[in-house]
Amino acid sequence: MSVIAPKFKLSEFVKSLLDNIFWVLLLMTIVGIPAVQIALFYIEMPVIHGELLTPFLALTWLADPTRLLPVIHALMATDFFRIAAFPGFGFAALLAAGTIFIERKMLAKLQLRVGPFYCGKIEGILQLMGDGLKLISKEIIIPAKADKPLFWAAPVLFVGAAAAFVALIPVAPGWVVADVDMGLLAVFAVIGFFPIITILSAWSANSKFPFIGGIRALFQMVSFEIPLILSLLGVVIVTGTLNLSEISASQSFFPWIVFLPVGAIVFFITMLAELERIPFDLPEAESEIVAGWLTEFSGMMYGLVQLGTYLKLYAFAALFVVLFLGGWNGPMVVPPFPEELLVGVEMGPVKVGPFPGLPLFDQAMLNGTFWFVIKTVGVIFFILLPRGVFPRIRIDMLLSLGWTKLIGLAFVNIFIALGLLYAGVLGPGGLQ
Amino acid sequence: MMSDDSEKPVADPKPDTKSSPPPKPDTKSSPPPKPDTKSSPPPKPASKKPEEKPIELPAFEKGISDKLVEKFGDKVEVGFVKKDRVRINISKENIHKVAEFVRDALNYDHVESVTGVDFPTDKEIEVVYHVGSYTDSSLARQILVLATRAPREENPIPGQDSTRLPSIRDVFYSAEFGEREVFEMLGVYFEGHPDNRRLLLPEDWADLPPLRKDFAIKGR
Amino acid sequence: MTAELPPGLALQKADERIMTLNVGPQHPGSGHMRIVVQIDGDYIVACDPDPGYVHRGEEKMAEYRNYITNIPHLERPVIHDSCNILYPYVLGAEEILGIEVPERAKYVRVIASELNRCIYTMYWLAIYGIFLGHSTMFMWPAGDRELLIDLMEKMTGARVTHAHFVPGGVRNDLPPNFEDTCLRQVNYFERRIKEYAAVFYDNPVLISRTRGTGVLSRQDAIRLGTTGSVLRASGIDYDLRVKEPYDVYDELDVHTNVMKEGDSYARSRVPWLDMMESCNIIRQALQKIPKSGSVRTKLKPNPKTKGPATVYKRVESGRGSLGCYIVSDGKPEPYRVKMSVGSFRNLIALPYLLKGEKLGNMPSVYWSLNYWPVEADR
Repeated sequence: MSVIAPKFKLSEFVKSLLDNIFWVLLLMTIVGIPAVQIALFYIEMPVIHGELLTPFLALTWLADPTRLLPVIHALMATDFFRIAAFPGFGFAALLAAGTIFIERKMLAKLQLRVGPFYCGKIEGILQLMGDGLKLISKEIIIPAKADKPLFWAAPVLFVGAAAAFVALIPVAPGWVVADVDMGLLAVFAVIGFFPIITILSAWSANSKFPFIGGIRALFQMVSFEIPLILSLLGVVIVTGTLNLSEISASQSFFPWIVFLPVGAIVFFITMLAELERIPFDLPEAESEIVAGWLTEFSGMMYGLVQLGTYLKLYAFAALFVVLFLGGWNGPMVVPPFPEELLVGVEMGPVKVGPFPGLPLFDQAMLNGTFWFVIKTVGVIFFILLPRGVFPRIRIDMLLSLGWTKLIGLAFVNIFIALGLLYAGVLGPGGLQ
Repeated sequence: MMSDDSEKPVADPKPDTKSSPPPKPDTKSSPPPKPDTKSSPPPKPASKKPEEKPIELPAFEKGISDKLVEKFGDKVEVGFVKKDRVRINISKENIHKVAEFVRDALNYDHVESVTGVDFPTDKEIEVVYHVGSYTDSSLARQILVLATRAPREENPIPGQDSTRLPSIRDVFYSAEFGEREVFEMLGVYFEGHPDNRRLLLPEDWADLPPLRKDFAIKGR
Repeated sequence: MTAELPPGLALQKADERIMTLNVGPQHPGSGHMRIVVQIDGDYIVACDPDPGYVHRGEEKMAEYRNYITNIPHLERPVIHDSCNILYPYVLGAEEILGIEVPERAKYVRVIASELNRCIYTMYWLAIYGIFLGHSTMFMWPAGDRELLIDLMEKMTGARVTHAHFVPGGVRNDLPPNFEDTCLRQVNYFERRIKEYAAVFYDNPVLISRTRGTGVLSRQDAIRLGTTGSVLRASGIDYDLRVKEPYDVYDELDVHTNVMKEGDSYARSRVPWLDMMESCNIIRQALQKIPKSGSVRTKLKPNPKTKGPATVYKRVESGRGSLGCYIVSDGKPEPYRVKMSVGSFRNLIALPYLLKGEKLGNMPSVYWSLNYWPVEADR
């Protein structure tokens, strides 16, 4: 009898394992496989070896796994995949998780400590997962006098708005969830939601510190939205479009930061304020107002807000990349796919391939994604850096910065853009 | 200088930057106590100076006590004159006048600590002000100890019994928190103090004032 | 007691524009105390500090123990500065018990007290950093403080609560080779704190935030009876190590750091300069310390006093002048012990400074008063 688990018996342990396997198999057969079969009727099936892959043949991947590739390929063409996985939520959440990890380690190095270290053996790489599990398992406490429906809705709305923002970002040529012509206007519209959500949650908590934090957030975001919008107008003027994909594509020779550095600087500063990053983290200033508008959130509600915050961080960094740093454009670094993969290779009597559905991604998309991620991570790094260097500023300094200096600079940027356009440097007859 | 904020304590915590003349910011204009005190020690037979021989007394400190005795005569009693420390015992009626004199003529400008000491055998509570000076460099190492006594009651009702003293908060602003502490810890009510409230003790404290000798710690 | 208790917190009449905010006692920006602030928009219209959350009745406890057994609990109010808070009590007890202190013990005391001042100031600085939202300035002092704590551990055997000073000297002699280690560590420490200028004291954001906020004029600093770095930041040259030297401070060359501005920035800079001065003092003391000799005049466990007496001794601690008033009635226990602590004396300036300030300035003004809530509550 062991001390840790005095009632442990090997036979019972094995029995419980077998039980679990039995139930999994049973449920898969009577629920899972029919469900997959039904779902396959709604997916456009590919043609393999001159033969249409019907849902009835779909399970032949059990015998020939390469037959799965066309199905994956078909799945990747759906909107669902774009929303949930690649340019949308999943990709952004992955980058956000990476951001949190990098932030912790970088800040720790800056402050002469080690940061997360033990969880996950290698440099605390699983710390984030541990924190997430902790947040999920914590009790959610709602203040007694809170306006409960609004209070519950606020974190969900926050993540929803952040995800909507993410959906507008083009990651690679053709890879964007919502490729709308009014892309930049849609971005402004989505950004406009955040102060409303913040003030709603602060108001509904019915508590003083969240209220002050919410008011501060409202002031801060509203006063910084105007320079934000104005600073982006320069790019719109020189490109003549609001579509983010087209803006991105227009920078194949040089990024707009070369011509519009003032706008880039203004946008970067307003971005820090919109994100409530450290020199501007007044709505969450802990030594003044506990945690600002997040004070009453607990458990996974807080976790959701944090998730939304980091999604927003990624989206803003990505927007900066798309507008000023050339988006997916960059020298081709991804090597072309080997011929054998596409036409198949003969190995004596056996001919292997070609596999229908390969390659899953084309070369331009991989290259675009690579450059996009590199640039986005770079911008995120610069967004995180001030946290270790600057103290928090005060609300009056923040407002005067937003209303006087940044708006003035944004107008300077617009004049630069107009000047470039009318002088013929850019636009028809010019460089581009 | 009489407190213009006596009924609104918190509303006006910085009362008199402009309205009232503060204790003496500058050393030059004030009457220097030094030169004449240096010359005066040998004479001065009057006043009660218990069990200390005049020769041993430090000259400068003796000068301070002499000036006080000269001004107030019998109303003050010199407790001791030691190196850097002069103690004056004053009755409660005169404490305010002595404090004003100490501030205006002797250049002391702040109260370092306000201490209450309970003497159940004498049926009195002693309140001791340690007064120091920042402005006068000759007084930098001096501490003037002003001690006064309030009657003590067996069953105290803080604020409503006869354990009362005049506050010197309007003379030395720095005595404010010290007097509040003495009030809650020993139950001495300071008349003229605008803010006789609890400071350190919990708001629902309903026992004896804890620093009285008859408030016993459990198990001791 | 009767029902007529003295009123609780006197608050301003509730107004629609005015919001009453309880900052503390459990709040990341208040320490162990409550500050009741009333704000009109972003401006503080009234402020009422409410200390006492960690009041322990040290003065009452001191009346039940004799002069030796009082030592370990009287240092509790400021465990980071435990040597300095014991210093006036020990000086007073020596006068009441009539003991002489060996010369070497005096130097050991000076070294220990200066090291402790640095340890306290580093802790204070760390919290000042995090109050301003500067997380690097929280981590750096908290880490560099370990150097000196290790040094104190070598010297006294304990990391924070040393109980090292006793009437008649110090508890233990210095360990062998302590002088070399101490000199090396102190030199490194000084080099290290000079680096703080780049990240903190010369930081433009910090300067624009704290310059001109919470200005305490020279005149008001005197009138309110503030002390320590608050007083020196307002332009008054007053340091008890110079003005009323105790032990061997008169044989050392002590420079007083004075700044004229009297704002939060000056109040936060003076302790930093004082730390460098402490390093200087330690180096001088290490040179002048007698190489051998006793460090303690032995006492009986329950020593006899010379008779009824009152003593008021004061030293310059990390938070300013720290006085100890001991009334002895001839018994082995003190009749009354009163600690007149710098934090308590500086607290009076808080409502004065905060009125009319913005809410965002509250943590910086409050903590720049060099206030330690536990010490003020005793």
